Amino acid sequence: MRFLKSVLVIILSMVLLAGCSAAKPAANVQNNEGKAEEKVELTFYYPVAVGGPLTKTIDGMAAEFMKENPNIAVKPVYTGSYADTTTKVQAGVQGKNPPDIAIVQSTELYSLLDMDAILPLDDLIAQDGGDEFIKDFYPGFLENSQVDGKTYSIPFQRSTIVLYYNKDAFKEVGLDPAKPPKNWDELVDYAKKLNKDGRTGVEIPTTGFAYWLFQAFALENGKNLMSADGKEVYFDTPENVEALQLWIDLAKRDKVMPEGVIDWATVPSNFIAGKTAMMYHTTGNLTNVKTNAKFDFGVAYLPAKKNFGSPTGGGNFYLFKGIDEKKQKAAWKFIKFMTEPERTAQWSIDTGYVAARKSAYETEKMKNYISEFPAAAVARDQLEFAKAELSTHNNGRVTKALSDALQAAITGQTAPAEALKKAQQEAEKALATFNK
Amino acid sequence: MQRRVENIAMFGLACLWTFPLIWAFWTAFRPREMATSWELTPDFTLNNFVHVWNGAPFAQYYLNTLIIVTGILAVQLVTATLAAYVFAKVRFWGRDILFILFLVQIIVPADVLLFPNYNVLGDLSLLDTKLGIMMPYFASALGIFLLRQTFKTFPSELEEAARMEGCSWWQMLWKIYVPLARPTYIAFGLVSVSYHWNNFMWPLIVTNSVENRPLTVGLAIFATSFETGAQWAEVSAATVMVILPLLLAFLLFQRQFLNSFIHSGIK
Repeated sequence: MRFLKSVLVIILSMVLLAGCSAAKPAANVQNNEGKAEEKVELTFYYPVAVGGPLTKTIDGMAAEFMKENPNIAVKPVYTGSYADTTTKVQAGVQGKNPPDIAIVQSTELYSLLDMDAILPLDDLIAQDGGDEFIKDFYPGFLENSQVDGKTYSIPFQRSTIVLYYNKDAFKEVGLDPAKPPKNWDELVDYAKKLNKDGRTGVEIPTTGFAYWLFQAFALENGKNLMSADGKEVYFDTPENVEALQLWIDLAKRDKVMPEGVIDWATVPSNFIAGKTAMMYHTTGNLTNVKTNAKFDFGVAYLPAKKNFGSPTGGGNFYLFKGIDEKKQKAAWKFIKFMTEPERTAQWSIDTGYVAARKSAYETEKMKNYISEFPAAAVARDQLEFAKAELSTHNNGRVTKALSDALQAAITGQTAPAEALKKAQQEAEKALATFNK
Repeated sequence: MQRRVENIAMFGLACLWTFPLIWAFWTAFRPREMATSWELTPDFTLNNFVHVWNGAPFAQYYLNTLIIVTGILAVQLVTATLAAYVFAKVRFWGRDILFILFLVQIIVPADVLLFPNYNVLGDLSLLDTKLGIMMPYFASALGIFLLRQTFKTFPSELEEAARMEGCSWWQMLWKIYVPLARPTYIAFGLVSVSYHWNNFMWPLIVTNSVENRPLTVGLAIFATSFETGAQWAEVSAATVMVILPLLLAFLLFQRQFLNSFIHSGIK
């Protein structure tokens, strides 16, 4: 024990030495600046989910903001994937050192609320922006931001699922490239025609975000998977069993999709390489496919059953409790700056994300882009039928219950009805404490 | 006959092990659209590397990783040597229990300690510093364990002889124990360096500034692209850039590594 103590003492004294030497100059700088003008400093955590050097784009946007607002300094901090960002935010909240602003996945709403970590934004919206501002966002995106009549986050990098199809392949087998499949029957039918050696008819990824893709089928067959307050789920309805059965049949019965697990990350590569004629994937991929596909391709609504439907996804701006009012106002200014129509339009063009505001589509920039590349408008038009991404209290466990069930059904271990029933039971257990 | 079977099996395992490496190198030099095909066309490019290098401040990241890895290893070697000597050769009350408590550290996964460590560093105002990244790893249970086992095998006659010659315990440690345990030091050094070279989550959580972040954060910008699916050519180029220094170092010093393992033991 004495040894441990002496090690601790040594380490602590090292730390103190390092701490002292580091702290002094920093304090001086603050004093100097404090006298000159009240400068507000904001840290801003953001993940990158589309691959490539988007960090530079964000840094550039922050620099532009600081030029316009010289008394606010924004420090953008790249924080890995969405999951990494959530972990970092949680560490900060527990350590009483939360970021001032963060982009976190929209589905973390309930878990952040349960940690008592985030601020409702209604007062800030009322002071600056008002209804005119908030009503400009597509309702399909806002659903993941609002609970009990309060708004907790502002949509930023948002996506939704669309159908990508290879027009050259359509022509090759005698299908009209202007008419993508409109419903489930046509999907199966077309996929059968497009299927040949070395090319599958359609690929729907089953790893990583299986629950998200399944949600699309559920929505098309009538209803979302959870209640608006995030306390109930509806996994095992007959409609959902039917939806899952279709998914399995595409591979097992009709043989137009590879059997077993289809990896999320390789589906776009397969589509670009011509190994599959159609794919279900996120709009976040649009720019990637556009720059890399050597053939003519189209983008369409996901085929419908009772109606069209697709879940939204992606990340929103959140503000955190425990930061003072001056910082809150500065942070709000930054969020408003980042979501200005012009900037939202540019962000959408650069990344392929759907612009979250209606007015972004009215800018010159966006109009030109769409007239030159009409596929970019499909995702926006589909938003009319889009609903919130699966998000509940205890979100991790509930989502995992569904994902596991889907995997089991797709690999043929469990029958669809049974798998969904099990997921339902597990999710209800996970939600029990919130339903008292 | 048996020999031949063994050789073939070893060769097979070696191929299996090197395959991902070869694939990554191959893909890193191929144009984007040919990333996933094996066709032997003469298309090779350095564009992926240019793109990746410009995507993040890699020069700074290399420097940071180097500082962090060597800093951790240097402190670990000192603490592990001292602790191992005490656990191996000094008798005191409760030694074995204390040693077992130390070993428990090996069992606890680092991820569980993310939040508590973060809070401690926050209290010490060491968030977003290189020292903060290094500190939780200064005392390594694995290093202490390996060295203790090695020290235990040295006969106490050596120590007695040294004392007869008038060595202080410090000289004894430095002139007898450390040189004799060289293979263990090298083995532990390899484990420690490669672990901290590859560590991602902890540095990401503790640091905010480019000045303090390691290479793996730069790699993540290209690897965590779930919206688009993997851009294999870029991911491979970034991977090659990150692992290359470590790989080269290993190949260069391979002979010394192996020699030191062969010549271990007491002459």
